[in-house]
Amino acid sequence: MKEIACASGVELLMDYLEGVLPADLRSALDAHVAGCPRCVAFIASYRETPRLIREATATELPVHLQVSLRAFLRAQRGLPP
Amino acid sequence: MVVPTAEPSDETLAARAAAGDDHAFEEILERYQGRIFRLACRLTSDTDAPDVLQETFLQVHRHLPSFRGESRFGTWLYRIATNAALMHRRARARRPAEPLEAFLPRFDGDGRHAGTPAELQLASRADELLDRHVLAEKARAVIARLPDLYRDAFVLRDLEEMSTADVAHALGVEPATVRQRVHRARLMLRGYLSDLVGVRP
Repeated sequence: MKEIACASGVELLMDYLEGVLPADLRSALDAHVAGCPRCVAFIASYRETPRLIREATATELPVHLQVSLRAFLRAQRGLPP
Repeated sequence: MVVPTAEPSDETLAARAAAGDDHAFEEILERYQGRIFRLACRLTSDTDAPDVLQETFLQVHRHLPSFRGESRFGTWLYRIATNAALMHRRARARRPAEPLEAFLPRFDGDGRHAGTPAELQLASRADELLDRHVLAEKARAVIARLPDLYRDAFVLRDLEEMSTADVAHALGVEPATVRQRVHRARLMLRGYLSDLVGVRP
């Protein structure tokens, strides 16, 4: 089986996690990661990144903007405020 | 006792709104305005998001009669919002962003990760280690520093949690291209978070 290093393994992560990585590469990556604590740690932080950024950017629509949006759209539709 | 009534589906509301039912239109607005605002903040900026939001629902109102239900209503609406955000951004003079390449992972001569496992994992604890408001501010600023193509794919795929196929459709590219862009964005943002908590990526 083909051996891979951390650097080439990193490039396969997205496809690996999406389940579209060809079986031979998948086995090669699994084999590498099983013996590489650095990759285990790296993958953990790679997987957490979307959640961290998602939660940090989860803004709420302020009430005053809800009010102005509704008023704008009513005016556009020729409705009373 | 109040008996809960079944909520009409988006598609039902869309059909009613297209037929001129104002309440149905406002119900759609109610359901989606928060999500579309959040998307607009992520794709443009807090300053531009209100305009994008307004433009999106104006277009929804105009184009509802042509919504044929070939895709889910939410997908259709997100596509309108994404286009409105991208148009809005194109109209703005972009200040050159400070590149994020410095945050890509580093390897030694043998292609091994340069950091120790503890260092490599630390980025995943950014929310424990940083003040929530600081992290929120930094996260908003850093997604604006991503190259546009990476930002769009990352926002739709990872922040709005759309499927890769839907993102590909919305952006007019192949799924493999979406995956490649999202991957680059994840690598840069992971490294950025790592740097924020004190470890060079």
